[in-house]
Amino acid sequence: MTADLEVRLIHDGIKWVAYHQSFEACGHTLLDLDQDLTRCLLDTQLFPDNTQVTVFMVFDYNCIPTWIRQYAYHYFNRHVRLNLKSPLLKGQ
Amino acid sequence: MNRKWYSGMARTEDWWAVWLGLTMFLASVSSLWGLDLTGWMAKPNTWVWGKFSFDAVLKASGKQGWHPVLSWLVTYLVFTALTCLAAWAMKFDLKRFVAGWTVLFVMTWIIWIIGQEAHFKVPVNEFAKFGLSWGLSLGGGFSYLLALLVGLIIGNFFKGTAGFLSEAAKPEWFIKTAIVFLGIKIGVMSMEAAGFITELVITGIAATFVAYMLFWPIVYALGRRVFHLSRDASAVLASGISICGVSAAIATAGAIRARPVIPVVVSILVVIFAMFELIILPGFYTAIAPNQPIVNGSALGLTVKTDGADAAAGAMLDELMRANAEANLGVRWKEGWILMASLTTKIWIDMFIGVWAFVLALVWVYKVERQPGQSKVGLMEIWHRFPKFVLGYLLVWFSYITIASTGPEIAKTLHEAATPVEGSMRTMMFMLTFLSIGVITDFSKLRGMGKLALLYAIALFGIIAPIAYAVAWIFHRGMMPPAL
Repeated sequence: MTADLEVRLIHDGIKWVAYHQSFEACGHTLLDLDQDLTRCLLDTQLFPDNTQVTVFMVFDYNCIPTWIRQYAYHYFNRHVRLNLKSPLLKGQ
Repeated sequence: MNRKWYSGMARTEDWWAVWLGLTMFLASVSSLWGLDLTGWMAKPNTWVWGKFSFDAVLKASGKQGWHPVLSWLVTYLVFTALTCLAAWAMKFDLKRFVAGWTVLFVMTWIIWIIGQEAHFKVPVNEFAKFGLSWGLSLGGGFSYLLALLVGLIIGNFFKGTAGFLSEAAKPEWFIKTAIVFLGIKIGVMSMEAAGFITELVITGIAATFVAYMLFWPIVYALGRRVFHLSRDASAVLASGISICGVSAAIATAGAIRARPVIPVVVSILVVIFAMFELIILPGFYTAIAPNQPIVNGSALGLTVKTDGADAAAGAMLDELMRANAEANLGVRWKEGWILMASLTTKIWIDMFIGVWAFVLALVWVYKVERQPGQSKVGLMEIWHRFPKFVLGYLLVWFSYITIASTGPEIAKTLHEAATPVEGSMRTMMFMLTFLSIGVITDFSKLRGMGKLALLYAIALFGIIAPIAYAVAWIFHRGMMPPAL
């Protein structure tokens, strides 16, 4: 699956955080994260309003302690499709 | 991150176990062209206290006339070169790795040689041969116990040293390499007793399936209903304790997108409880069922939750049960069959984790946390979770059978050249595993994990171990290793 945008995903112990050079989105759940990411994309205007964007979230394996990595070297990555509808458009 | 099917081939321990195992297998196959690329491997001899000399305690596997110290040095250089190449490819800190590896290697050999002393090792019926008046008759198991004990002392009382050694103390890598070497041994066994191996494999699959269908739902329900854990914590814990430990915990957590802290906590529990299993179960099974070797081996495979601890426990059970049978039952079982029963079972469990992670991911994404426009689950998840060292094990096993089946002369030549690989090289990797498991096990990490640790202990010793033993007994009772 091709993505329109790639972000780095971590969990800081409290919340999920998606890093991009233009923004930083966060949320306590992945659903919250996706909503905040939508807001960030609308704010930064990286994509036009009212489009559908596929975001590839690459989990940063540095969140997993080094000694565990010998047992497993992969956590998960996510492809998420977001509808960039501005609050104005959503209200219509 | 995994993007392509070949991701990780040069940078994971799983794949490097395959490459190291295949390198040594190919070195033994080269004997068919008249080369001797495995005879340099050193191996320890049984020796008697008061008669220590290098010639008495060490020898080269195949190179007649080599001084034992030369053989040992070549062994060190070959394995150091290969592991350093792997460590470089995996982006380890190479200086720390070389230093840690060298210390572990030297300690391993010292412990191994001590464990070969006749008073610890030889069975009662060989006391006269070594001029002994007493002995513990522990077989090769004493070397393993000693390595584990030394490792645990370092890991728990000399934490600075443990930290220094941690870059090279990789029990999962060492044991996976040893398991690929074991592919040769099961190849040899298949040539000797094809029917028994086939039965062992088929009953192993059946036992794994039955146990697996019972373990996971029971532990998950216990976590949810009795301990009131969240769905994701229960699922990760159920997979960790029911399937294959840390790999299963991480695979499940990844599949259900759990917070990373959950698999980390479960992994700590898995590793520490595996140590208890390794210390308790081989001796316990030997004591309660000394005449059920294959049942005991299979029960270990179903119960012990890391590859390293399972293979290590299987090796110890093999040694203890054979020593006990020789002393008390008057029978000498061939070496390796009990270990093989343990490993065969564990390997089926390992192979299944990819499929289980995929199923869980489907259930979570499309049912438990269903959201519009959410991520999809790809079939590649199964491949990414598949334990690659199993491919090396199977490839070596079937290649050995294929080559050895072409004629008796070829089979004899191959067997002679492969013996150092499936013998002393494999045992050396086991010894490194025992020592490394001890080094990375820090019991103080259990502090603050009261509820989860209690659930883990109840599930392991109250549910998993008894069911595993019952299932192993149903499928394997009466099966005996070939006698000498």
